[in-house]
Amino acid sequence: MHRTWQRHLNKLRWLILSLVFCTLILLPFFHLYQTYLASHSYDLLLSKEKLVYDTMESLTAPFLSDPEKQLEALKGTTWSGTLFGLKLSDPLAIVSQASAAMKLYWPFILTAAIPVIFTVIFGRFFCGWICPATFVYELNDSLGAWLRKAGLPISQHRMDRRLKYLVLGIGAVLSAVTGAVLFAAIYPPAIIGREIYYAVAVGGFGGGTVFFLLTLLFDLMVSRRGFCRYLCPGGALYSLLGRYRVFRIQRDVTNCNDCAKCNVVCQFDLNPLRDGFGQECNNCTACIAVCPTDALRFELKVKDAANRGPGHLGQLYRKQQQKSEKLEVQNI
Amino acid sequence: MRPPGALSEDKFLANCIHCGKCGEICPNRAINFFGFENGLASLDTPYIVPREQSCILCMKCGDVCPTGALKPIARELEDIVANVKMGHARVDKNLCLSYQGKTCGVCARACPLPDIAMSVGFLETPIVMDGCVGCGLCERSCIQIPPSIRVIPDMDRS
Repeated sequence: MHRTWQRHLNKLRWLILSLVFCTLILLPFFHLYQTYLASHSYDLLLSKEKLVYDTMESLTAPFLSDPEKQLEALKGTTWSGTLFGLKLSDPLAIVSQASAAMKLYWPFILTAAIPVIFTVIFGRFFCGWICPATFVYELNDSLGAWLRKAGLPISQHRMDRRLKYLVLGIGAVLSAVTGAVLFAAIYPPAIIGREIYYAVAVGGFGGGTVFFLLTLLFDLMVSRRGFCRYLCPGGALYSLLGRYRVFRIQRDVTNCNDCAKCNVVCQFDLNPLRDGFGQECNNCTACIAVCPTDALRFELKVKDAANRGPGHLGQLYRKQQQKSEKLEVQNI
Repeated sequence: MRPPGALSEDKFLANCIHCGKCGEICPNRAINFFGFENGLASLDTPYIVPREQSCILCMKCGDVCPTGALKPIARELEDIVANVKMGHARVDKNLCLSYQGKTCGVCARACPLPDIAMSVGFLETPIVMDGCVGCGLCERSCIQIPPSIRVIPDMDRS
């Protein structure tokens, strides 16, 4: 059978996630390198700083002629960053700033235009494909699977998915009341970028690391990928924006054989087996990669199909089983 | 002290999204970030301690700030003098060497805005003028410990 290319999307996604994460680690080193260049005093650097300088020089020298200036093209984190002169921001940053300042600052709002357009088309793609926290959370999820195999009792509580919309709403109201951008303190992608910068360039992790470690423990002990599923305000915003996304994963009933691997592999506890994708799907494509019959693939559709029952392959298989059982009974 | 071009303190807190880009662009590594010591609202917001590392008025942080919490200000003398108001330098005449009769003048030499922010009198005694933007280069360069010239932060920054 000719298999769909879409099952390779998961590998591509992991490549992008690791690239984003590595870039976030590299950027503070670039910053240090720039400051060393700006000070024009290589001889006065400590041996550790010289190591950073030399490493960064060998990394950038083949590509850049004036690294002190040119490295400014890449600044910030996924929360808000500059990418070759293009300023990009997380839509949640816009929401929190607008609610805290009670004023719309258009140059800032426009920086979220591209992410918002992408989200309207692809849904919660940021969560699955870019978010540096997802990278850690998925590794953490694998760790959880290992621990479960090793026999450690790990509980998997289910909560109400709508909890995260509540977090988004309460956070926005609290930001407006206190006049401070509070989401930045509890939004993992923002925390990660910042904490990596602190660890590399400032010296020592900040308070956000504690919060992030707590969410990791929450995922491990209370609920699988629980923070993204139930608490993340950014995930809530992306889910709302991507409710009527144009591209969505859909099940082909005629191919589905009801093996339920998709439901097992889905970290967001969705129900691809019975057409239950909804607005929360983060397009991680793990279900596409795992599907043995290529029944799942991206389709151009604005709404999910209603539950279409068991897969047809499964029905055929069951009929054949029944027939052969009958034959066996007759033969006896 | 907030980085140059910051809005008044309440407005700054409401607009800053704690992205840390100002610190990341700062060529002098002057911009540091608050932990919990100053309350939850100012967690991860930028500050400058001039005695440790002072602002060199390169104005890159204002350009890179996405939300306008730090106003974008051109790196021109008039624009900087008109718009930057981080604080105001104040001299302790009992500590200052020049005022004690030993010619020093280090702060006046460090000042990036001579005769706008600071002029010198007899024996190079520093006289801070109204044009002082509070960059803190004088405080950083002062050879006295504790420094005899200090930048008092301006929270209104008007």
